[in-house]
Amino acid sequence: MLKIPRAIVEEMVAHAREAMPNEACGMVHAQGGVPFEVHRVKNIAGDEKSGSPFRYEMDPMQQLRLEAQRDETGETLFAIYHSHVGSEARPSPTDERQAFFPPGEFDRDPAYPNTFYILVSLASEPPEVRAWRVLKRTSPDETRPVVIEEPIERARWWPQWPWRCWMRRWTGRLRHR
Amino acid sequence: MAVQVHVTSVIRNAVGGQRKVSADGGSVREVLADIEAKYPGFKAQVMDEQGQLHRFVNIYLNDEDIRYLQGADTILSDGDEMSILPALAGG
Ligand SMILES: [Zn+2]
Repeated sequence: MLKIPRAIVEEMVAHAREAMPNEACGMVHAQGGVPFEVHRVKNIAGDEKSGSPFRYEMDPMQQLRLEAQRDETGETLFAIYHSHVGSEARPSPTDERQAFFPPGEFDRDPAYPNTFYILVSLASEPPEVRAWRVLKRTSPDETRPVVIEEPIERARWWPQWPWRCWMRRWTGRLRHR
Repeated sequence: MAVQVHVTSVIRNAVGGQRKVSADGGSVREVLADIEAKYPGFKAQVMDEQGQLHRFVNIYLNDEDIRYLQGADTILSDGDEMSILPALAGG
């Protein structure tokens, strides 16, 4: 079971709803392995670079800033999330390809080997939220990578939750206002 | 021209695991060639054999996508910061 604070699941769902009719995307950072913060990232897919109902592409500058933040703080990229507005909460063939670098190189390790892919589907009500791991294929005869679901447990709270880190972040943010 | 190049995690192993490399060159193309000279195999991660930037890779110069400048021929100034990022995308 993949333990994720309820508030984080709800934040991803809220983002998905607000991004309608387009797909929402973002990152979940963890501290000490515990997911603790959702970062919404602008979806720049589409001709106008303002999002698409069928695709997502994260704003590269935001991607860069979040990575710098992780390098500085020791936070890790717990999950990459995005929404599907009309299909199931499982990785699409495009999602499977894009989990590798270069895309579709299923014989290599995935681009983010320690990161989950979380899918939020708005095709049903309440929305479905499911987590997946995408791993390299087991043999060259396979046409797809290995995709494994990690069932999510929506936790109310638990002792290892990095309260201090979270508090420091919030007080820091208030100070910067 | 000396520039700093940020390399994101996905392609860091192509530059010996570093987050940032210094490189010389008057244009993006020259800087990439300079990195290739130090880390053979690097350039193939970023562009094809014809020297076209891969569709699934973004290069930013300071805060701008070089596709909206002059692409790989974009001229650099001393102290510029370049960032190389694989697109994080899906459907
Ligand atoms: Zn998808």
